[in-house]
Amino acid sequence: MDVDTGNMTQTNLVDKVVVPGDVVLDLTKMENQTIKLGSGLRQDCDYISVMQAGKLRLSKPNKYWVESSQKRYVPRLEDTVLGIVVEHRSDNFLVDIKAPNLAFLPVLAFEGGTRRNIPKFETGTLIYARVVKANGIMNPELSCTDASGKAAEFGQLKNGYMFETSTGLARMLLSSPTCPVLEALGNKISFETAVGLNGRVWVNASSPDDVILVSNAIMRSEFLSGTQQRIMAEKLLERLQKS
Amino acid sequence: MEQRWANTSRLTINEKQFIEEALRSEIRVDGRRLYDYRRLTIKFGREDGSSEVQLGETHVMAFVTGQLMQPYRDRPNEGTLAIFTEFSPMADPSFEPGRPGEAAIELGRVIDRGLRESRAVDMESLCVVAGKSVWAIRVDLHIIDNGGNLIDAANIAALAALSTFRRPECSVGGDDNQEIIVHDPEVRDPIPLTIHHFPIAVTFAFFQEGNTLVIDPHYKEEAVSGVRMTVTVNSNGDVCTIQKAGGEGILSGDVMRCLRIASLKASEMTTKIKEAVETYNAEVALKKVKRHPSLIAKKITVPDVEMKEASFQKTKELSADMENSPNQTSTSLTTTKDRDTNASIGRPLNWDPYSSSAPAIVSSSTLPELVGTSKDANEDQMMQTDEEYDPNLKKDQIASATGVSSGIHKQNSPPKSLKDAVKPKHKRKKNAERGAR
Repeated sequence: MDVDTGNMTQTNLVDKVVVPGDVVLDLTKMENQTIKLGSGLRQDCDYISVMQAGKLRLSKPNKYWVESSQKRYVPRLEDTVLGIVVEHRSDNFLVDIKAPNLAFLPVLAFEGGTRRNIPKFETGTLIYARVVKANGIMNPELSCTDASGKAAEFGQLKNGYMFETSTGLARMLLSSPTCPVLEALGNKISFETAVGLNGRVWVNASSPDDVILVSNAIMRSEFLSGTQQRIMAEKLLERLQKS
Repeated sequence: MEQRWANTSRLTINEKQFIEEALRSEIRVDGRRLYDYRRLTIKFGREDGSSEVQLGETHVMAFVTGQLMQPYRDRPNEGTLAIFTEFSPMADPSFEPGRPGEAAIELGRVIDRGLRESRAVDMESLCVVAGKSVWAIRVDLHIIDNGGNLIDAANIAALAALSTFRRPECSVGGDDNQEIIVHDPEVRDPIPLTIHHFPIAVTFAFFQEGNTLVIDPHYKEEAVSGVRMTVTVNSNGDVCTIQKAGGEGILSGDVMRCLRIASLKASEMTTKIKEAVETYNAEVALKKVKRHPSLIAKKITVPDVEMKEASFQKTKELSADMENSPNQTSTSLTTTKDRDTNASIGRPLNWDPYSSSAPAIVSSSTLPELVGTSKDANEDQMMQTDEEYDPNLKKDQIASATGVSSGIHKQNSPPKSLKDAVKPKHKRKKNAERGAR
């Protein structure tokens, strides 16, 4: 039986990079416990093995999942994403969210939306929306309201600049405490961002210089550590004399 | 149909407006100035005539191959040059496999006009037997990643590949003096193509009805721009081709302005390409030379393949100084010297550069070539090393080679005891003297 060092009651692979096939937990060695598995992990009879390459994470006491980063997005429920309107059909908008299928955004899924005040989105409009339906096969469905029906910042994003990143970077930008690069930039420049978990980021600031600075800093910060991000951001700001 | 829609790359209204607004203040989205090129990397493959160019995110590979064919009837004493493009579907969601689309054909034509019709490559030197047999050179351009401005990147790749392409030497002979003998590259050094000048393509994108123009647009700027124009100029200031694609018109004053900017950029680009090609040629020549001492040192480590790799890596890292490098190649190798020295002596003994057949050595040796073509060495460094080797080679190859390697072992004492270092030296010298006589 190929039992690796990873097969203990508490796996020692937490926060390490794992690849598909790695065995993370050996259930025969654990007493009666409930373990919650997130994405990227699978139960294979007595073993929990990895399905997606990434970093294994543990949220005490018993939640395990694999964090991976891709360029394409797999829609999941309750994710907030940035979509681009492709077409306007009679009862919903077709929106591209970097998923295998186009998503549907019902024309009534807006705060106070009725048949009389359907918003006019032309092709190429950028929308901040929430995923309300996501199966593997069917087209995902979006909504521009939160669970209680309020707008809550969803809807069209005007002006600014949008660029695409990997899903990992998007998650890092949304992490709390605030991502170091955003903090370092926010100390000197005032800007607003909208981050979609599908790997799209929208940045808006008062001048084009600032927007370009912020967007390039974010794009470069993907593989840097916290301190490196701060240093990189500060260097960029110095170079453009924003102190 | 929806499936195809889901795959194309899209531009938002926000991006379009922002790019134009930023250009009004003369800044571009990636922080470049209007007339700046993105970072250019030129790499070469293992075979002659293959290059890989990265211009920012755009990634293009070029392969040059040659074949003997019948010439065209109206040009019986000229070779032919053909450009083929392949837009791989992995480069862009809108590239489909199969028949080349409009963009692919346009790219092929612009590069073809720049290279062939401007007579950049000398065709008459490719003729072997007039009217019967000429070299047909084929350039294959593969687009790996579309980050915008494919024409410039593909042009640079084609030029780099053509500069490093070597065709086999062939001569006319045989019984009836009509037979064409293509010489093996091991026997006679292959010959480079004669390139008279380097036509460099510079692409401009126009925005806001021709008020702003940028060089080397990336794919978002290309999508937003109204007009695109490519001019191919060389560093002498000759205009080879001009290609204007898309929608609105450009004033003739703007066209002249572009030509002037392009000729400046062309000289810069030509220098960059030539430097990259020369560095690559120096490396290749260095590899050929270094194989000589490493033939001896080669046998010291166990698997041949590994040894070759190690010595090649070493040659890359080392300076061209002949003294240092052999020493270092051997010091990097751990020793089973005793076992192998005899075998290594065996090799040079069997090898006679004056015999007509190619030597039967695993590492396809170019030592006979060195003898014959030492004067053709590309670089100064090469010249020095060749001259040092040359007199030795002509007289007493083995002694010199082993003399060098014995020097190696003298200085290799640290890892082993002095005794061990001394022993193989004596053995080899004796054998060498025996063999030389």
